[in-house]
Amino acid sequence: MATDVNDDRRPDPDALLALTAKEGHGKLKVFLGAAPGVGKTFAMLQGARRLKAEGVDVVIGLVETHGRAETAALLAGLDVLARRTTAYRDRQIDEFDLDAALKRKPKLIVVDELAHTNAPDSRHPKRWQDVAELLDAGIDVWTALNIQHLESLADVVSRVTGVQVRETVPDMVLQTAEDVVLVDITPDELIERLNEGKVYLPQTARRATQNFFTRGNLTALRELALRRTADRVDDQMVDYLRQNAIEGPWETSDYLLVCVGGDDQAEVVVRTAGRLATRLNASWITVHVERSGHEETNPAKLKRVDDALRLADRLGSQIQRLAGLDPVAEVLRYARRENVTQIVMGRSRAHPLWRLMGAGFTDRLVRRASDVAVHVVNSPDPQTPFVRRILPMPAPRRLGQGLIAAAVAVAAAVGVGEILRQLLVLPNLSMVFLLAVLACAATYGPVSAIAASLLSFVAFNFFFIPPLYTLTVAEPQELLSLTVFLIVAVLTGSLAGRAHDRAQAVRQRALDTQSLYEFSRKLAGAAKLDEVLWAAATHLQKTQGGPIVFLMPEEGELQVKTAWPPDQDLSAGEVSAANWAFSKHEIAGWRTNTLPNLKKQFRPLRTPRGTVGVVGFAPKDAEEPISPEDERALTAILEQTAIAIDRAILVGEAVRAAALEDNEKLRTILLSSLSHDLRTPLSSITGAVTSLRQLGDKMPASDRQDLLASIEEEAARLSGFIANLLDMSRIESGALKVKQDYIDPTDSIRAAVERGRRALPAQKIETSIARDLPFVRGDAQLLEQVLFNLLDNAHKHGGGSAIVHARMEGTNVVISVTDEGPGIKPTDLPRIFEKFYRGGRTDGRKAGTGLGLSISKGLVEAMGGTIEAQSPAIRRRGTRILMRFPAVRMREGHPA
Amino acid sequence: MTARVLVVDDEAPIQRFLRPALVASGYDVLQAETGRQALHLIATAAPDIVVLDLGLPDMDGKQVLAEARRFSQVPIIILSARDREVEKIAALDLGADDYVEKPFGIGEFMARLRTALRHRAKGGEDISRFEADGLTVDLDRRLVSRDGKPVRLTPKEFELLAILVRHAGRVVTHRQILSQVWGPAHADDTQYLRVFVGQLRAKIEPAPETPRLVLTEPGVGYRLWAEE
Repeated sequence: MATDVNDDRRPDPDALLALTAKEGHGKLKVFLGAAPGVGKTFAMLQGARRLKAEGVDVVIGLVETHGRAETAALLAGLDVLARRTTAYRDRQIDEFDLDAALKRKPKLIVVDELAHTNAPDSRHPKRWQDVAELLDAGIDVWTALNIQHLESLADVVSRVTGVQVRETVPDMVLQTAEDVVLVDITPDELIERLNEGKVYLPQTARRATQNFFTRGNLTALRELALRRTADRVDDQMVDYLRQNAIEGPWETSDYLLVCVGGDDQAEVVVRTAGRLATRLNASWITVHVERSGHEETNPAKLKRVDDALRLADRLGSQIQRLAGLDPVAEVLRYARRENVTQIVMGRSRAHPLWRLMGAGFTDRLVRRASDVAVHVVNSPDPQTPFVRRILPMPAPRRLGQGLIAAAVAVAAAVGVGEILRQLLVLPNLSMVFLLAVLACAATYGPVSAIAASLLSFVAFNFFFIPPLYTLTVAEPQELLSLTVFLIVAVLTGSLAGRAHDRAQAVRQRALDTQSLYEFSRKLAGAAKLDEVLWAAATHLQKTQGGPIVFLMPEEGELQVKTAWPPDQDLSAGEVSAANWAFSKHEIAGWRTNTLPNLKKQFRPLRTPRGTVGVVGFAPKDAEEPISPEDERALTAILEQTAIAIDRAILVGEAVRAAALEDNEKLRTILLSSLSHDLRTPLSSITGAVTSLRQLGDKMPASDRQDLLASIEEEAARLSGFIANLLDMSRIESGALKVKQDYIDPTDSIRAAVERGRRALPAQKIETSIARDLPFVRGDAQLLEQVLFNLLDNAHKHGGGSAIVHARMEGTNVVISVTDEGPGIKPTDLPRIFEKFYRGGRTDGRKAGTGLGLSISKGLVEAMGGTIEAQSPAIRRRGTRILMRFPAVRMREGHPA
Repeated sequence: MTARVLVVDDEAPIQRFLRPALVASGYDVLQAETGRQALHLIATAAPDIVVLDLGLPDMDGKQVLAEARRFSQVPIIILSARDREVEKIAALDLGADDYVEKPFGIGEFMARLRTALRHRAKGGEDISRFEADGLTVDLDRRLVSRDGKPVRLTPKEFELLAILVRHAGRVVTHRQILSQVWGPAHADDTQYLRVFVGQLRAKIEPAPETPRLVLTEPGVGYRLWAEE
């Protein structure tokens, strides 16, 4: 279409979005160096001084001068933040004071050594997390970093230099930095400075660094730093082009897919792929694929998969789990669907036999990936011995039991064999031993079975093969059968043992699934938020063991909603970890990056609509990380809980919205009937008055009289309506004062009937009052008013005659007014005491004001009585309004 | 011959004062309490004008109006409450001639009645001249003058004025004006109308800031003031 031509030159919306996300957020500038001593701190401080001179609010959060006068001199005149001193194992540690920095809130803060690990009682274990919080708070940060500390390069660095890098900073930190400044000097210069003692190194690290500061190492590190900076410049160029919609030299980026499995090279594969992706400026996705029906059951492997995926997530990859009957086909299908250009994977350590036949995962994938490039990452062979790999060792206790069982089983087989030999003549007793091997396999798995096989081999030889009771074999054919027995026993034993292990694992998975299923059923039955939280808390307590606490936001603050055990107090640290989890949508507390010293861990409950709350729990064993199985179960439970909470909240909102809507509807009806009731009398009065004034002299006298009479009547009607409205509002506001006298109901009934007969001459009113009715407490005038209202109602709705009954019923005086009208529909019966309800008609023509009955109800209840309606009353017609008042017990004519 | 007025209202007090007032003003009065009765009387008793309340017990007043319009062009004046604006406009768009808001004085009511009857007598749309308050409009010759001096109007302004003149004394809804001057596609663009009415007033009103000729009926439309 011709009109869309310009659209191609629009800035990429994603690029612009990324830009706006940066606004309101501090800017990070990283001074990147190849090694300590290149002058990062110096460069940073010089820059800070320059800015300070320009009037920028610069604060030095933390800078290590290492006692060097040159650097210390640069600090003079700059605003330096006091350090936080903390004691750790009899030592004083000076740490960066994050809270003071947040409170001070400068425009720019300088925080040295980004890779530093904080003292244990700090909010975050790592300094880069402190920096992230500063940036979130809108403070610009300058910091320094050595290239060796970058997470994705850590393995390369340790391979090149032989020094293990422990303190790492995620690549995301560098990627999201606004500026990266490379501080560079040549390796020779650096070594010279080192020799001149210009580079400060801690005493303890001196020996380790002797090997580090070699020319080769420094050159390699320098190359890494230069290359990383160049990559960044390249990225920025592309970003700039995108944001400004300049027709780019860039092409559609590469898209990398990384396959990881449960083997120990998963981590290496992910890191390699991360570096590749950065170099190619490509987005990447990490997948783990499982063969349907052969799901991994080994917890260690599951954990490795989880770890690898988590690492990938940290390095900026998307992650995805796949499942399919043919894993290779599944990966390729996914790759094609997502337009993946390159696949990265490790060499699979399949069974050596398979590998020979080219049937390993890697080989098959390489063969079948016709349109995608495949990188195969090699890494040194694992340290785990071959036997350990094909024969997973059970836990020590179980191993011991298995070995004892093997010995017992073989001993039993010897016994049985001896007895059989006495009774029968059997050519070969080896079957008995095979039975023992299989029994061990079925109960204790392959290790026990193989032990039993070896024992059987010895015992069989010793007890049953001549010469008896020696370990020698006389006949060659016996030797052959003994060897065959050993092979058969080992093979069947290990096969049966594996089947046993597998069955055990499957059973465990089934149990987990069932437990989860039960939980989801429990949740499905819980509609209210409290029920959901309670169900989740009890279930978690059962599976996790420790105390559980659920927190949800209420009036802007996180509040404990449910806890098990119920009376738990959260410490200040726990509260701030919970808040952290809630506001940052991250796990906090025990064994995390935030407040790791707490006893509890806090996890956000996330739904597509955002974080709905936080769950805190204490792990079963504070010393051990959560096992992979428990971790998986926990994640599943929390996901379900979050969804259920979300649903409960939505249901609550829907109910409230519906109630509001009903209320709105009622209000509209109320308003329209009110305005009708007020306007009709006003209209006729205005009309009549203006008619009389303008046309009166042209009218016959009778018409004039009639108009005057109508004015009087309508004015009375209006005044009655207004009086009702006022009564109603007095009752509702509680301003109505009801006297609590001892009154004789008979008097009130008589007075009301008199008034009714006067006011409603067309109405026939009968009375039937029991003699000697006791007194009730109340207000004689109000009771009369109520009765009159009821008679008036009977007149309006009920066929011209009304009966008033009064009698004792138990301890109550019951007064009723019955009419002979058409009655009230059963569906309307409960609503007739509502305000502005009028006998099935919302327009309310000719009916009353819709207030009479609700006023009556208000008055009766104010006097301590009850009121109800019955319809039909007599012979399928009519309505009866019943009032009950507690009778006052009288003693000799006086109230008791 | 005295004109015959049919009053349709189920409120007895309204009927009670309208009847003697109408009789005293020299009209014959017919009364109906329900929509069905009203339709029957319009068809059989040939009233000259109908006064119709919109809230009736058996059917909606608008429905009565629509059915009546299928067989009769009798002028119909709506009685309606102030808060039922939407209903009022719908009724006018359905072919009611004018409306009176409750509560009303008898003078105003009678004036509306007379205007409607006069229009009917002149044959509705055939009015071609209008004179009031120093303004003269001749629709046939497309001449407009103010105190004897010619006034220049744009074609749209003239069309707007022409519609008001043809309905002089009666209300014309926003929708009616918009769809006749700008076409049905613009029937809801009330803001156009405000601008044009402002321009028209500036040219024809003696004092445009306090209009006396083109009167606003808030939320409903405009009415050209007409002498009795």
